Amino acid sequence: MTKPLLPEITSSRENGRALHGLRLVQIMKTSLRVTIFLFVSVIFFSGSAHSQDSVDFSKEILPLLAENCFACHGFDAEAREADLRLDTVEGATGGKAGGGVIVAGDAEASALVERLRSDDPDLVMPPPETGKSLTADQKEKIIAWINSGASYDSHWAFVAPKRPELPSASQATNQENRHPIDQLVHRRLAEVKLSPAPLADPATLIRRVSLDLIGLPPTQVEVIEFEKAWAKDQEQAWGELVDRLLGSRHYGERWARWWLDQARYADSNGYSIDAPRSIWKYRDWVIDALNRDLSFDQFTIEQLAGDLLPNADTSQKVATGFHRNTQINQEGGIDKEQFRIDSIFDRVGTTGTVWLGLTVGCAQCHDHKFDPISQKEFYQFFAFFNNQDEPSIKVYPEGTDVDALESRRNQVQDQIKKLIDDSADPLKQWEESLSDENKKSISDGVKKVLGKPLNKRGLEEKFSLLIEMNRLAEKSVQSFEAMQEEFLELSRQLNDVPTTMVLSERKEPRKTTVYIKGDFTRPSEEVTPGTLSILHGFETSSDSVTRLDLAKWIVDSKNPMTARVIVNRVWQQYFGVGMVATENDFGLVGARPTHPDLLDWLAVEWVEGGWSLKKLHRLIVTSDTYRQTSKMLDSMEPALAIDADNRLLWRQNRIRLDAELVRDVALTASGLMSSKQGGPPVFPPIPDGVMGQGQVKRSWSVSSGEDRYRRGLYTFVYRGTPPPSLKVFDAPEGFSSCTRRTRSNTPLQSLTLMNDSSFFEFAQSLAKIVEDEGVETAFQRCTSRRPNQVELDLLSGLDSLTVARALLNLDETITRE
Amino acid sequence: MWNQNQLRQQTRRHFFGSAAASTGSLGLGSMALQSLMSQEAGAAAKSELDRNPLAPKPTHFAPKAKNVIFLFMAGGPSQLEMFEHKPKLTELNGKPIPDSFIEGKRFAFMDSSHRINLLGSRRTFKQYGESGAYVSDLLPWTSEIVDDISIVKTLQADLFNHAPAKLFMNTGSGQFGRPSIGSWVTYGIGSECEDLPGFVVLQSGPRGPRGGAVLWGNGMLPSTYQGVPLRNQGDPILNLSTPETVSADQQRRLVDVVNQLNQERLRQTGDGEIAARINAYEMAYRMQTSAPELMDISDEDQETLDLYGIKDPNESTYARNCLLSRRLIERGVRFVQLYDTNWDHHGGPTETLENHLPSKCRDIDQPSAALVKDLKRRGLLDDTIVIWGGEFGRTPMGEVRQNTGRNHHIDAFTMWLAGGGFKAGQVYGETDDFGFEPVENAVHVHDLHATLLHQLGLDHERLTVRFQGRDFRLTDVHGRVVTDLLA
Repeated sequence: MTKPLLPEITSSRENGRALHGLRLVQIMKTSLRVTIFLFVSVIFFSGSAHSQDSVDFSKEILPLLAENCFACHGFDAEAREADLRLDTVEGATGGKAGGGVIVAGDAEASALVERLRSDDPDLVMPPPETGKSLTADQKEKIIAWINSGASYDSHWAFVAPKRPELPSASQATNQENRHPIDQLVHRRLAEVKLSPAPLADPATLIRRVSLDLIGLPPTQVEVIEFEKAWAKDQEQAWGELVDRLLGSRHYGERWARWWLDQARYADSNGYSIDAPRSIWKYRDWVIDALNRDLSFDQFTIEQLAGDLLPNADTSQKVATGFHRNTQINQEGGIDKEQFRIDSIFDRVGTTGTVWLGLTVGCAQCHDHKFDPISQKEFYQFFAFFNNQDEPSIKVYPEGTDVDALESRRNQVQDQIKKLIDDSADPLKQWEESLSDENKKSISDGVKKVLGKPLNKRGLEEKFSLLIEMNRLAEKSVQSFEAMQEEFLELSRQLNDVPTTMVLSERKEPRKTTVYIKGDFTRPSEEVTPGTLSILHGFETSSDSVTRLDLAKWIVDSKNPMTARVIVNRVWQQYFGVGMVATENDFGLVGARPTHPDLLDWLAVEWVEGGWSLKKLHRLIVTSDTYRQTSKMLDSMEPALAIDADNRLLWRQNRIRLDAELVRDVALTASGLMSSKQGGPPVFPPIPDGVMGQGQVKRSWSVSSGEDRYRRGLYTFVYRGTPPPSLKVFDAPEGFSSCTRRTRSNTPLQSLTLMNDSSFFEFAQSLAKIVEDEGVETAFQRCTSRRPNQVELDLLSGLDSLTVARALLNLDETITRE
Repeated sequence: MWNQNQLRQQTRRHFFGSAAASTGSLGLGSMALQSLMSQEAGAAAKSELDRNPLAPKPTHFAPKAKNVIFLFMAGGPSQLEMFEHKPKLTELNGKPIPDSFIEGKRFAFMDSSHRINLLGSRRTFKQYGESGAYVSDLLPWTSEIVDDISIVKTLQADLFNHAPAKLFMNTGSGQFGRPSIGSWVTYGIGSECEDLPGFVVLQSGPRGPRGGAVLWGNGMLPSTYQGVPLRNQGDPILNLSTPETVSADQQRRLVDVVNQLNQERLRQTGDGEIAARINAYEMAYRMQTSAPELMDISDEDQETLDLYGIKDPNESTYARNCLLSRRLIERGVRFVQLYDTNWDHHGGPTETLENHLPSKCRDIDQPSAALVKDLKRRGLLDDTIVIWGGEFGRTPMGEVRQNTGRNHHIDAFTMWLAGGGFKAGQVYGETDDFGFEPVENAVHVHDLHATLLHQLGLDHERLTVRFQGRDFRLTDVHGRVVTDLLA
């Protein structure tokens, strides 16, 4: 049970609380761990504000209130206890009339403070059974804040970023260092008297940046040449290397996977039937869009609403596959509408997570517990996505003139039809007159047509009879055959093309209502499309508001969220964790940025520079912060004591490669990698019996030729039975948007690298390289560096296959250092 | 709530802990490695303490049970043919069910084969044991253990299609991508086994269960906690076997050299994650031996094989899986789940109540009872929970396909529990005359989950993981511990 906040309103609690409300309180209970963690981060990252003896509400107080109070005294009216809300100044202080639990400027007169301090378990706030509590320091902070006037200002993330002033170069620890990222990171380090690490050695650097930008390790020659260039002029060598990598077509493959995780892309329908689907054209669209550096605002618009753009071309329609990556339930006995609604819930939640960094999905059943997002707003957002059909379209090769093909096909078809109609009687007579003897000389294909009843014969089949009749009569059939061939070729060009799943707006909008508790069988108030009121305004001139308006609202320069969210998610790829550690939650209970000024600077710089992802990558990887060593040096002891998790970036982090790259590196090292790009997903070997684990046993016919050795990105993914060697390294299955992969470290990974037939095949190929070119070369192909004497000694005396297997199994081989 | 960082620490501690317990198996350099690990382990534990002095103990409170064996009858076994004796239903056979029962309810196949006429059971029911529990003639062996088990007749679920319902029974949610109960348990209390995964899945029946591998998925928990299927054919664990052309000696040397090189890199970089990887290779190597040993039941005596009804020890059957589950528990594996498929008796050509259901019952009756008896006589039942049941039960109304069968039913269905501090010899909950709905003591799936976690020493409200800005738990926002079920 939860306790009332104030004794005099106990009765309101006893009047009976909704069970639902109670349960909502329960789920938000957290252990003390988080409180401690938060405490640490608040003290740790509050830095200068603390020393100036003033309290920053947004930075220091709001997180405390959000975590400890808002579940019962926040935005959600349903769950609100004692009719008290602490998320608004009016709620807390009673506004001008006063009488609230906070008396601004007078902590001692504030009932809230009394309750914070109480040692009576029935009175103290937060109640002990919620598992939450405040430390003495946190209480003092709240008291100080009340005494200083209890001013409420906005949560940092809801205020649009402004370009912060950069410290002058003299303030940076290194006089010569003018890179804005380094200036801001080094300033932060200097505040806690830490210094950045030295740069990594050039071999490590080229491997690092190659894996980060294109997902492939450098060749031996590339390493050697880079080392030479680096010795001559570091900055020039680095700039040229980065430009080369950003210009590589493999860049799109590497970063597509980052985006496809968020898009919950996979190649099957999910749920229990999990049938294969064709949506790889969308995957190729992402690769291509990244390679041509389509600006992120346009990238967004095309994916959310490409079909609604004026004169939308095929590519823009293909882009709407983003929101077709939801599951489709094909099980017997289901209610289809239920699962259509579920897929829209998914689209709303995913849009919120991916572009806004907000847990909009939390408001499906009730007002959001922490962030000011009402349940009604959730359904206004829902309304944008409730108005499309979900077809597949054919995607013709570029430059195909479909209209011309169709009109020619129709022309030929009409000619054929006329020929057949004209010969209807002779054909009939011919067929009736055919003796068994005659039939012997007839081709099998024609015999088959003859076996069919008249009304089951297609046009092309009838035509083949006509040709056969004339051939037997020893008439020339050349022109007929040419016509037939052209017809077949045209049909093939028109029909034998890949399809992909897209969104297509309906003419008549569906009605959207709020669903009580998120239950689609319980519709209530009708709503129209709308955005979140806590963010920037939504303007539209049109009466009919569509997904296109939503997409434009998202990439509006006034949006405080999107640029920060995406910049942070790019940053996290380079350092293992974002400046905002909760990369999918920038809301009130999300983590605060470790480097708020840097996050804002990058966000503003990125948008003003035209939303170019390539520019953003270049900006980050040319910093010294990125190029620091990831090794733990003796000199780092003090840093370890202050910041064990390296959130302040006093060095780089070693990061285990993503699942697909574990494969790609082994393929490259062993010399087997196919460089083929795009196209239908492929089926490299997987262990026997894997596909039998689903409800419906799916076939896995192993690809032959170079498709056996394609990059991991192209492996077919059944959501229900994902490829084991990808799954074991934490590749997502595409059930929901994945904004950050976990990085586990398990014995099953070891078994995969040691024994899986694919990795064994790679090892056999690498063993030949060991034999032909020596251990050192093989070592370098895996790690991009020369082995030291200890390592060479360890590898000496082993057979070449064991050497090759060992090298592919090294922690270093599957790690970006 | 554990954030990702803490999870990482936890995972590392887990592996360091295992490393400390496994001595000597590493060749050259094992001493140095060990001393390094113990230092690191000390540092990791200390840093965990520094970070959070209130870090939860391995369990939230003293546990009653250590292990779980979940016998999952995939498809939805008919409680009305097995445990629910309903003379009134038989009496009113063929009559429509009163509207009051089904008003506003939704069923599977509503537009086709679903019917509203009552269908009486043709089975014979008798009371057994001191508890006097009713069991039908389909389960003669189970009738012998009624005084060792709690039969719960009032289970309730939320979802009535197979895959979502199976997910619901396993994860507390119909959404794909949530952690399964076995993952939650190993996440919550780890495993005592050094050389096998903590959460193991065994399968029998003609195909995989509907929903597939997501039923034992780790969801938003680290993949360390995913269920690992032990397969009856081929490698018991994927990629367990050394490649054919590689000798045992070569494999041992591979593990040694990989670990030595990794140790050298650890020295160069100081990254503790490498120590965890060294340990993973050791465990992987041990698994290569221990898993085949586990699967080889030739060391079991004839009496035991007869108890389970195992005729051919090499044949993959539910009976063999029951015996394997005991062997897994003996080795310290925390959570074992057996799936037996084809319990979906709608009345189609291969799914009749008359022939196919009895055949399924013959497959599972003796082995399930034997498992309880065997665990009991070995003193393992006290701290092992055995659960029997499916994702839902079946309707009192008939469904008409080629034959008469029963549709999916989620308002009241039967499961039984044994051992692990659950009351023995109890029949819990009562349903109405048709077995349509509970009239007392309903037990929702969330309640079952809360109760299972409770017996393992875990508070279902405190066992959470934060993901996409929200704390997730097995019981979502629901669940209560059903103390009536506990001894």
